[in-house]
Amino acid sequence: MPMSIRSKDGMPPGALPMLILRVLQSESLHGYAIAQRIHLLSSEVLAVEEGLLYPTLQKMLLKGWVTSEWGISETNRKVRFYQLTPAGRTQLKVELAGYDRVTQAIQNILRTA
Amino acid sequence: MGELWRRIHYLFHRRQLDAELESDMEFHREMAARAGRNNFGNTLRMREQSREAWGWTWLDRLVQDFRFGTRILVRKPGFTFMIVLVLAIGIGVNIAAFSFFNMVALKPLPVRDPASLIRLERRSPHAYISEMAYPSFAFYRDHTHTLSAAIAVFGVPPMQINDDIKPTSTSFVTPNYFTELGTPALYGRLFTPALDGSSADAPAVILSYNLWEHRFSGDPSVIGQVIRINRKPATVVGVTPYTFASLGGQHPDIWMPIAQQPYFIDGSKALTDWTSSTVRMWGRLAPGITKAQAEQEMRTLTNDIRRIHPDAVWENEYLQISPGGHLQIMQPEMLRVAVMVGILTLLILAVACANVGGLLLARGISREHEIGIRVAIGASRIRIFRQLCTESFMLAALGSIAGIVLSYVVLRIALSSFEAPGWLSPIPDGRVLFFTGGIMMLAVLFFGFAPALQIARQRHRGTLVRQILLAAQVTASCVLLIVSGLLVRAAQHVLFNEPGFGYESTVSIDPQLGQHGYSDSSAKAYLDEMQQRLRELPGMHAVALVRLPPMGHIVSREDRELNGRKVAVYPNWVSPSYFDVMQTPILTGRVFTPGEKHVALVSKTYARLAWPNENPIGKTMPGDSKDVVIGVVGDAHVNALNNDDALESYYSAQSDNMPGMTIIARAQGQPDAVLTAARTISENLDPKLFPEMNRLKQLYRKITTQIELIAGIVSLIGFVAVLLAGVGILGIVSFNISQRTKEIAIRLALGSPKSNLCASLLRQFIWPIAAGLALGTGLALFASQFLRMVLFGVSNLDPAGYAAGVAVLLAVVALSGIWPARKAMKLNVARALHYE
Repeated sequence: MPMSIRSKDGMPPGALPMLILRVLQSESLHGYAIAQRIHLLSSEVLAVEEGLLYPTLQKMLLKGWVTSEWGISETNRKVRFYQLTPAGRTQLKVELAGYDRVTQAIQNILRTA
Repeated sequence: MGELWRRIHYLFHRRQLDAELESDMEFHREMAARAGRNNFGNTLRMREQSREAWGWTWLDRLVQDFRFGTRILVRKPGFTFMIVLVLAIGIGVNIAAFSFFNMVALKPLPVRDPASLIRLERRSPHAYISEMAYPSFAFYRDHTHTLSAAIAVFGVPPMQINDDIKPTSTSFVTPNYFTELGTPALYGRLFTPALDGSSADAPAVILSYNLWEHRFSGDPSVIGQVIRINRKPATVVGVTPYTFASLGGQHPDIWMPIAQQPYFIDGSKALTDWTSSTVRMWGRLAPGITKAQAEQEMRTLTNDIRRIHPDAVWENEYLQISPGGHLQIMQPEMLRVAVMVGILTLLILAVACANVGGLLLARGISREHEIGIRVAIGASRIRIFRQLCTESFMLAALGSIAGIVLSYVVLRIALSSFEAPGWLSPIPDGRVLFFTGGIMMLAVLFFGFAPALQIARQRHRGTLVRQILLAAQVTASCVLLIVSGLLVRAAQHVLFNEPGFGYESTVSIDPQLGQHGYSDSSAKAYLDEMQQRLRELPGMHAVALVRLPPMGHIVSREDRELNGRKVAVYPNWVSPSYFDVMQTPILTGRVFTPGEKHVALVSKTYARLAWPNENPIGKTMPGDSKDVVIGVVGDAHVNALNNDDALESYYSAQSDNMPGMTIIARAQGQPDAVLTAARTISENLDPKLFPEMNRLKQLYRKITTQIELIAGIVSLIGFVAVLLAGVGILGIVSFNISQRTKEIAIRLALGSPKSNLCASLLRQFIWPIAAGLALGTGLALFASQFLRMVLFGVSNLDPAGYAAGVAVLLAVVALSGIWPARKAMKLNVARALHYE
């Protein structure tokens, strides 16, 4: 059986915070919308498990990268919308730079080895 | 910083945030359901995972464990009470012992800057004395640069106030005593160098709070009154406060300035005599000076004194400096006693813990069902272990609190019955609380850890742990019982055996001639006259002179080596009739004549150790001495009652000993009559003198009550320990039987003989008990050598003491094992089998 280090829904480990930060960059979203957005933008390759999304969001709240605000959902329900803080924007840049460096490195190996 | 704040914010708003999280997830599920997906999973579990991000899960679990633990403990109040009680005794005994040690040796005196206070004592490789001559003290005080202050305390025998019958304890002190300690006066003023520093100042005295309250009915107008101390008028200038802390725990009732000493003690030359050791020296280290630096300077000053007054200083003498800011200055001997007491109290803790451990283990088995369910629904072993440990902690905490209360009550009673200084308080301080915490941890480790591990691993069938716990209990109880057995034997020995000298009707009369300025010849004249008149009293058997009276204030001791064996020799200087008065038998040889030079008598054991299998008569005394042994007398440890290894040597009193001699006399009938007569004779001979008079029997009783008290306390502790062990064994055996009810019933039904069945039930307990007994006896054999000092001539290997200890233990063990087993034999077979 072929082994893969990637999890079964295709999410590379540690990438979720970066993706959340990225989708929140343009607008504030509620939890379900974050999952949907990531799913759609990845052409339905990446599925965000609910059991992973909420613990990650809690961690990000604690770190101060995002804050939450009450809003009304499209189904007319009171729900929390998450939005980026200045610290979150900085963190996104850091994550992106780190990610670029790593992918670049991996690409180099794949090309030359 | 922000993250920490948010974390704390989360801690306090957990409920609200949890609700928000729940609402988020609910919404998510609704939306997912719309999209046609229904497998959101276990929401509760997911919420728990999300909450973990906040970092407070451990706290929640702890609170949960505590809640659950409380429920468990409350559900069985009898069981909880029993365990807390056992732990309270085990922990309380340790706290009480430590609190006492803390009060005596660790707590700084409530005086100004106690840390810089030091005590200075004369020492040389061969001698040790706490007092020094006043001129030496003055020399050190005037020349030192390392001490910022020097204080002298001149203790004297009790003196008479006005016409009181009962004498009052007194001390002379340098006028800086109270100013250095920073003591405020309750009424009036305390001494100051300006007002009380010179002998030309008006004679002043200060009263202790106690004396003021009882002798002067607590009347503040006593200030300014003139009272007579040994018939010398003096003005009361002040009263010390109730909480006054004195140096070295000496709290006399009357304080007098040292400059007035020659006034109150007529004719005394103590303040100018370089050779009589009279004052205790205390000092304060100057800022930035270490103890070693001060010791170095004192060494130089001692050598300076030697140059001026060679006879005032010993060979290789130096001043030993020890911290003085505590009630008691710790000497190595006392530390040994403290360690011994510590070990005994820890043994009690061990017994208590082994006991509780056994009970917890037994209960763990009856909780098998509950724990089984919790494991089945997903609790991990670690979680169960943590839960059980939390319960143990709660028990230990309850036990510690009860232990603190117990120790407080005990110390309160002890302090009030021993007339302790007013500032001493048994209220636990930081050190005691810290110690309590440590002891509590130790207790949890002792009693909680092993059973918790066993139960959590669900492998509690093994009886090994139970057997080890049982053996530990038996071992510790065994040591305690043997030690108390030995001490009881010692007390008996003291009470029912002759100490080797007659004390029943002997009195000692110390006229303190030296302190009143008597010369050698005038002292001799006085003593001769006094002895003559005493001999004329009706019923008088014998009268003698002795330099170091039996059980007196001063003891002289030489540490020597005789044939490679370290011994303590107690020398004394006596008149020839001394042995007659003390009823010490002359075994061989003869007694010296009055004033005979270069001869000595030795005690029987001395002769045996120094010259084994030889005739000691005619031998020269060990060391570089010219004294020849002329006789051997019986052993009589008059000045070392509790040291059975003590040796004695006697020398004929010389004419220059006379000012320091004490008269002893033995008469038929009431010794009080002799004392009354002696007082009259003293009045006639020299009304200036106030001889200190003692009945040896009283002094003797005073010392023996101490050993009785110690034996009583240790026996009580031993009794508590054996009771605990008994309860523990009872519990373990009963529990074991209850586990095997079905088996017993079947065997009974099949007609198994009861005695066989009984034996098979108890067989598994035989080896732990035997091992415990053997180990305990071995430990006691080892430990008891440290007890020799207090055993009053009972050998530390005394078979009766051991037999008594082991017998009591065996009886308790047997009783607590056989009783439940016999009860099991009366089992209703039919009912027991129905039940299963």
